[in-house]
Amino acid sequence: MLRTPNPTRPASMDELLDSALIARLSRLDVTSRKVFSGKLKGERRSKKRGESVEFADHRPYVVGDDLRHIDWNIFGRLDRLFLKLFLEEEDLSLHIVIDASESADCGQPNKFFYAQQFAMALGYIGLINLNRVAITAIGGYIDTGKESPDEPRPSGSGPDSPPALDTIRDLRGRRRTQDLARFLCSLRPAGSTDFRDQAKRIALARRGKGVMVVVSDFFMKEGYEDGLRLLVGRGYDLFALQCLSPQEVEPDIGGDLKLVDVEDGDRAEVTISAPLLKRYKQNLAAYCGGLRDFCARREITALTVRTDTPVDVLLLDYLRRRGLVR
Amino acid sequence: MTYATPTIAAITAAIAVPSLVILYFLKLRRRSVEISSTLLWRKAVQDLQANAPFQRLRKNILLLLQLLALAAALFAIAQPQKKVGEATSTRHVIMIDRSASMGTKDGGGGKTRLEAAKKTAIDQVDSLDEGDIFGAAAHEAMVIAFDSTAEVVQRFTTDKAKLRSAIESIQQTDAPGSIKEAFQLAQAHRPKVSATPTDTPPDSSADTSADGPQDEPPASILAGPPQTFHLYTDGRISDLDTFLPASQDSVVYHTTGDPDSADVGITGLRAERAYDHPEHLTIFVGLQNTFPTQVTPDVELSLDGAPSAIRSATIAAPTARTGIVQSNDSADQVQSVVRAEPGKGGVVFELDMPRGSIATVRLRGQPDPFPTDDQGELVIPPASQTSVAVVTKGNLFLAEALAGLPLAELDTLTPDEFRAQVDSGQAEKYDVVVLDGMLPPNTPEGRALAPGRWLILGAIPGSPEGLVDKGEGGYGQFVDWRRDHPVLQGLTLDPVRIGDARQIEIPDTSAARSLAETQFGPGIVEFVTAEARAIGVLFDVADSNWPFDVSFVVFLASAIDYLDAATASDAGRLAVRPGEILTERLPLGATDASLEDPDGDRVPLAPAADGRISWGPVRRTGLLTLRWNGETGPADTVQDGKATRFVASNLLDPYESDIAPEDSVALASQIVAAASQKETAIRHYWRWLLLAALAVIMLEWYIYNRKVQI
Repeated sequence: MLRTPNPTRPASMDELLDSALIARLSRLDVTSRKVFSGKLKGERRSKKRGESVEFADHRPYVVGDDLRHIDWNIFGRLDRLFLKLFLEEEDLSLHIVIDASESADCGQPNKFFYAQQFAMALGYIGLINLNRVAITAIGGYIDTGKESPDEPRPSGSGPDSPPALDTIRDLRGRRRTQDLARFLCSLRPAGSTDFRDQAKRIALARRGKGVMVVVSDFFMKEGYEDGLRLLVGRGYDLFALQCLSPQEVEPDIGGDLKLVDVEDGDRAEVTISAPLLKRYKQNLAAYCGGLRDFCARREITALTVRTDTPVDVLLLDYLRRRGLVR
Repeated sequence: MTYATPTIAAITAAIAVPSLVILYFLKLRRRSVEISSTLLWRKAVQDLQANAPFQRLRKNILLLLQLLALAAALFAIAQPQKKVGEATSTRHVIMIDRSASMGTKDGGGGKTRLEAAKKTAIDQVDSLDEGDIFGAAAHEAMVIAFDSTAEVVQRFTTDKAKLRSAIESIQQTDAPGSIKEAFQLAQAHRPKVSATPTDTPPDSSADTSADGPQDEPPASILAGPPQTFHLYTDGRISDLDTFLPASQDSVVYHTTGDPDSADVGITGLRAERAYDHPEHLTIFVGLQNTFPTQVTPDVELSLDGAPSAIRSATIAAPTARTGIVQSNDSADQVQSVVRAEPGKGGVVFELDMPRGSIATVRLRGQPDPFPTDDQGELVIPPASQTSVAVVTKGNLFLAEALAGLPLAELDTLTPDEFRAQVDSGQAEKYDVVVLDGMLPPNTPEGRALAPGRWLILGAIPGSPEGLVDKGEGGYGQFVDWRRDHPVLQGLTLDPVRIGDARQIEIPDTSAARSLAETQFGPGIVEFVTAEARAIGVLFDVADSNWPFDVSFVVFLASAIDYLDAATASDAGRLAVRPGEILTERLPLGATDASLEDPDGDRVPLAPAADGRISWGPVRRTGLLTLRWNGETGPADTVQDGKATRFVASNLLDPYESDIAPEDSVALASQIVAAASQKETAIRHYWRWLLLAALAVIMLEWYIYNRKVQI
């Protein structure tokens, strides 16, 4: 809950994923409850009938059909022309949206670092399965290590600039892994989350359909509903992963405090008492429950996870059960 | 409700309250903590505030509690007090009646009146003004317990614990109530005020010079500072008119007991043996009834513990009597006092019993709340008649007069015969020896009389224990005599003419006292020494006209009766009333004497040289038992190898047995009505307020700790 004093800033992929985890992740693939059309032929079955080796159906021949797909065996038996239909195999678009606002840079373990790890792991799974992977950071900026913070940035991102989208897209194949890692490692949390605007921009910029995973704490004062509605309205198979630090679930603060919101500087003067803590926990449970209910009504898969849950457990256990990976 | 020091409290409040508020605002420095989002916290705080009533109050509950504690402390400084009575002085004399009637069990909850009175008195002590913390003097009090006697249980003090324990220590007695001594004790404890002219108001001294003798100081000066007398009694005190408080004093009468209490009790008890038939015993029991109706209790007589007879007595209902008493408040105000005259009755037991006995009389069948007078004891000596020796050279009058008396034995001896009997020890069989014209033989040197009981006619024992004979006085007659003495009771000595009266003087060293005086000095005297008792007629009766007067025979009979105590048919001699001092004379040589009181407590006694013992005052009714090693007297018995004498202690007080409490007491100078129970002085509350402040501070501390705890 408290801002992490010296957050871990990974410099390379090795710091995000260890080799043992990479080995376990290599057996996984990203799935979607819906099957979406992709741009390139991939390793994924499509709804469309296509040119894979897997038989799907027959249909009567009409003029103009490719003669190569006529089932000559049926013609010999029935003396009628039928076309063999095969399933089309396509690639899957995997879009990971991570919350890089300042509120993510809190907790022990750090929520942002956890989101980086998760995004790296899931992105890796996507890349090795030849899916198209895109990552968007809401808030935050990219630390290139070259520019001084006061220089204007072409992308409009930076610690002092208004919230912007930092996106890397159209990654495909194992060799893009390092690009993905570099992007994630260069992200620095900053600013606040204007989730609705950001979601709108993501939705508008998105081409095609696919799986989208939003990693955030969803503590958004303006509400997460509009943003999620915008994202799911574009037909994405949407996953909402709510990351909470253990301190947010079980607060360990006490006394007469002036709580300062790291994003907007809002101050709340509280005297921590047992009734207040009880009420806080009730509110937290209700908030998480509200998120889950909202998502359930819109076919969004929601999952709340504590940042002290290992990433491999999250992927191999929680998300596999929820059908994001298999 | 008033405040002793409101100004100080107001000033303190003006400083302290703003200071506290300022300090409160300065006090709370919240630690600033950066968190991911205030969303849920703010919501939680809002929820709590929405759910809890009096949110503003709750927000500042600590401040409110501190203000409350401060307010309590400020009120304590203001010293709120409540005047709950008429307190006119700072000195209180708490006088608690512990007499017999206070043992009536109608004080509520099965308590006696004394217990109820003690409780009221302790309440009074608790409510005494303790002074304020800025110097006003505390009230002080003293405690006097009284029955027929009085004692100071606690001198003047402001220490309430001492006063309380003194009051608690007061024990019930069975003595009748008398306030005279208690009042004198209270007056003795007044601080003495020196009467200087400047201290005395002019009008006061003028009044004194006009109304009273010049040598008496004004009453107010005698009285010293004003006092409040608190009388805790049921009003059954016979001598309330001796209670004379000074004009500046006030008297508060705290009555106790149930006005409807009624009692049947023994108010008279007497046994008599017939003069001529001593074995014939008559026991008279006087009874009194204050129940509104006629009662018929059974009266049981037990002799030596064994029931002997039961008689049913009928006692009439009380009769109404109205008295008019003038109140002191106003000369015109007249108060009528109605008090019922108790119904009287009696029972007589007649029986033949030559031996001595302890007779116990009990009332049965009429329960009442006052058990003390439901039982009486009588010590009845054995019947005996007197053996008398008349030693005379020949006196016709004497022989004739004594012959008519009912005596067991009457021997007429010459002086020589008597001396021979004395020498041989035979003379000891005579109870009384009448010596005509001679003194007892074998009188030790320096003593007036030899041991024995003597009636000496016409002889004068010499000094130093005896008398100084200054020669003939001539023709004389009795000018004064002690009419209350048993020997001269009912006698008229006016007609007696003495031919040759002697001029007699009683020296200071003498054991004699005069019973009758002629114009020349004592004519009849009584000698009382350690071993001898004698009545002496100091002139020759043959040379007077007394033998021709009937009073001579009566005198002889009374004198012999008096000298021979063993023949006393009245059992009252071995009786004492509660509150009196028991004085008895034990036989000479008595050792290891002890007394067992009715409660069974044994007290060792040291007899004086003449065998006299005294103990007391006697507190309880019942049998007192004297035991000693040595000879026994005529009425004594031997129990367990020790000489034993019983003395009965009975209340026998009609006034005390009339137990209905008085609703007002008529003192010498005023009539005081019973005060309400809450007639007390000033009640202070500052201690309670300080305690409340402490409690609030502790609560505040608890709440503070609870708030900061997770």
